[in-house]
Amino acid sequence: MKQNIKKLSYFLLSIFVILLFYLTYITFQQGEALATHPQNRRMAAKEAAIIRGTIYDRQGVSLAETKWQGQAGQRVYQTVEHVFPSAHVVGYVSERYGSSGLEAAYSKELLGLTEADAVENLLDKILNRTPRGNDLILTLDASLQSRALALLGNRRGAVVALDPRTGAVLAMVSSPAFNSNTLKDPEVWNQLNKDEANAPLLNRATQGAYPPGSVIKLVTGAGILTNQVDQPEKTIDCPGYVIIDGNKIADNQVHHQVNFSKALAVSCNTYFAQEGVKLGWHNLLNTFEKFGLNQNPHLEIPVRAGTFAAAERRNKSQLAETSFGQGDTLLSPLHMALACAAIANHGTIMKPYLVKEIRKPEGQVVRVTESTPWLTATTPEIAGLITQGMVGAVDWGTGSGASLRGIKVAGKTGTAETKNTQDPTSAPHAWFVGFAPADNPQVVVAVIVEKGGSGSKVAAPIARDVMAAALSGK
Amino acid sequence: MLANLRKEERSLLYYITAFLAVGVLVLYLGQPEFNTVYELALGSGYKLPFWWFVVMLSIGTMAGFWLISAYWRVAGFKCDPYLMPITASLTALGLIFLFRLRPQYAERQFAWLLFGLVALVIITTLLRKMDWLEDYKYIYVAAGVILLVLPIFFGREQYGARSWLDLGLFQLQSSEFVKLLLVMFLASFLAENRRVLSAGSDQLWGISIPGIREYGPLVVMWGISLLILVFQKDLGTALIYFCTFLAMIYAATARMFYVSAGLLLFFLGGTVAYYIFDHVQARVDIWLNPWAYSSGKGYQIVQSLFALGSGGLFGSGLGQGLPGLIPAVHTDFIFSAIVEELGLVGGCAVLVLYMCFIFRGFMIALNARNDFTALLATGFTALMGLQTFIIIAGVIKLLPMTGVTLPFISYGGSSLVANFVLLGMLLNVSHEVNQGNETEY
Repeated sequence: MKQNIKKLSYFLLSIFVILLFYLTYITFQQGEALATHPQNRRMAAKEAAIIRGTIYDRQGVSLAETKWQGQAGQRVYQTVEHVFPSAHVVGYVSERYGSSGLEAAYSKELLGLTEADAVENLLDKILNRTPRGNDLILTLDASLQSRALALLGNRRGAVVALDPRTGAVLAMVSSPAFNSNTLKDPEVWNQLNKDEANAPLLNRATQGAYPPGSVIKLVTGAGILTNQVDQPEKTIDCPGYVIIDGNKIADNQVHHQVNFSKALAVSCNTYFAQEGVKLGWHNLLNTFEKFGLNQNPHLEIPVRAGTFAAAERRNKSQLAETSFGQGDTLLSPLHMALACAAIANHGTIMKPYLVKEIRKPEGQVVRVTESTPWLTATTPEIAGLITQGMVGAVDWGTGSGASLRGIKVAGKTGTAETKNTQDPTSAPHAWFVGFAPADNPQVVVAVIVEKGGSGSKVAAPIARDVMAAALSGK
Repeated sequence: MLANLRKEERSLLYYITAFLAVGVLVLYLGQPEFNTVYELALGSGYKLPFWWFVVMLSIGTMAGFWLISAYWRVAGFKCDPYLMPITASLTALGLIFLFRLRPQYAERQFAWLLFGLVALVIITTLLRKMDWLEDYKYIYVAAGVILLVLPIFFGREQYGARSWLDLGLFQLQSSEFVKLLLVMFLASFLAENRRVLSAGSDQLWGISIPGIREYGPLVVMWGISLLILVFQKDLGTALIYFCTFLAMIYAATARMFYVSAGLLLFFLGGTVAYYIFDHVQARVDIWLNPWAYSSGKGYQIVQSLFALGSGGLFGSGLGQGLPGLIPAVHTDFIFSAIVEELGLVGGCAVLVLYMCFIFRGFMIALNARNDFTALLATGFTALMGLQTFIIIAGVIKLLPMTGVTLPFISYGGSSLVANFVLLGMLLNVSHEVNQGNETEY
């Protein structure tokens, strides 16, 4: 019988060893997933006990801060006339609806839960202090933000302004904006989500997908010059239309003799269609890629990379249309601003960024974002030639609506057709990209007004005011 | 050597006192602002500061264990010196977590602990000579059946199981005590019949075919387990009864026939129960995929898994986690709370403590002087081990969850007292061993 008891004891002890192994398995194999599972309320509870850091604009204006009331905090966002102009960039944080924008991307920093904060957090625990996260100082300018949003008014659209020398994003607004403070009301939340026509929660500046229209000519132009399809001085005759592959493509008017520079200034579709076809699909797409149009600049908020005609649709007339910004091309305002920044910054695109600094609540700097080059899009010479054409556009061409007194402005308008079989009378998207001062660029602006009309009349004046505000603000 | 048994026991108790003190201190440092006045539930509303209440209960607990050790020394009781300290450490851990989770339950648990300790003293005093217990096996059966049947007629349903007897002042879960009677009955029955049962009477084509005498007990036991399942809806208890029975009959006869036939019957009964009883089916479905029911009937096990996963290697720290999110965390799911706050390390330490208990229990059984006491020790140890395994496997989702308590740690009065009775019986066997064999240990 002793033998049996021994065997039984081995059995019982070994099932406990199984428990030991299984518990270890849970801890190491499933622990991370279980600890961060969305239904696990521990993360939320932990976060709720931390005073979330403040988000400031570049001038120190508070965009989002937590007002601590005893046991819990309330996140308060800046409002200008009942909306938060930076709502899409800063985003929101809600127990019920999760988080978005920089609130989501910098959650760890704002909560002070990065590895660098470990010592501080331990001290907080020991001293029983309410932990407070780090502050963000953005590159955005709050007054420029509200100015840009006011300029868009009640029209749908977006404005992106950045410093081409550093990549710092000075303004990024999407209209319509919303009031982040009211999201906790389920009714408001549902309304914002249901409004498909206006899609107020969509950040049009980075996630909008628009045909670029003539503003793409900056990039096509760089491709033409880089691949030496024709000399910039060479002129062609524009009869007001061009026939590609038997399809007649109408131009906006008869431009007569146009060279490269004039073609940019007057936005001649005939020139770019013809030269684009000569350039060919391979070189055109190559140029688009060099300008980062189909790439994600990793801005830390969601960005939709641009898309072009699918491989099976790449015929000659699609090529001509793509060259002047129609066809299947869909881009975001951010991508157009970055492409324009390449021209402004001698061919180099600096990596765009939104967060300038991360600071501890006491003011000690944790991290400073250093500006780094992102892409080399073209050469300084070609950038210079394109700038000439863009200056011409503002001085005497299509972009005159963007001219500023005493400051040389370079710009390019775009009027992207949105007509299709379902909506044959749809108004075009109004585009403008440009920079100022043209000889020493400090600000690049991209403006789109959805179905707003012509780029010259609608988008150029908005860009002018944004550039003026950005330059005077410095 | 023998003279040192109690000394060894007491020095271990000092370590456990330090452990309890550190636990209380950590709780205190974790929330010094928590200085509410605690109103005694059992002391007719007497009020005292919360931390005084905690300290008094802690001192009371350790003093209780220490006094028993001192009493044993005076009374010349020569039991195993490790079992009681193991029990004391589990009890202390349980108290720490009850202070932290539900202080009102800590108070009740302490009251039950006093009953348990008194029961331990009585048993180690009166039942030291155990041989006569072998003669009353049918009284155990009768008492057991009465205790089992009472709640069916007078019982209250709680946590989905109908096994509580309402005695006005407190409630008693009679099945906790029936477990002990079951082991005592089986030990005496098997000690008398083991030779007959191991031999096998008939043979058919060279294979021994068991007669009615052999599979009779098996079928009866299976029936009793099923009855508990049907009438008390108590899956865990039924499982423990049946597994303990299999363990003891294996120890007595060494015939795998019983184990395999028993398991076969078990799966048969389990399958039928799965299709007939909703609560059995629910338990199994939740076990297979709790995430599909994470906001409904699977909520508890999912919360338990969250707690386990959030602990990591060293846990969130005592008082720093959120085990309160698990429903019934102070009874069935207390192990998840321990793992969340003390980590994998703490969870493994608890498991190792139970393994030590089982090891000592089987050592006693192996050294027992006759079949009856050997089987008694084997049965009690197996009972303790199986119950622990079943509940821990349940909360970590290794097996379907069945609501039973974690011995000595979970809140549960009947369970605590019954476990101290079990401890007392085991210690009596070890006293007998040590008395007869002075060179042992």
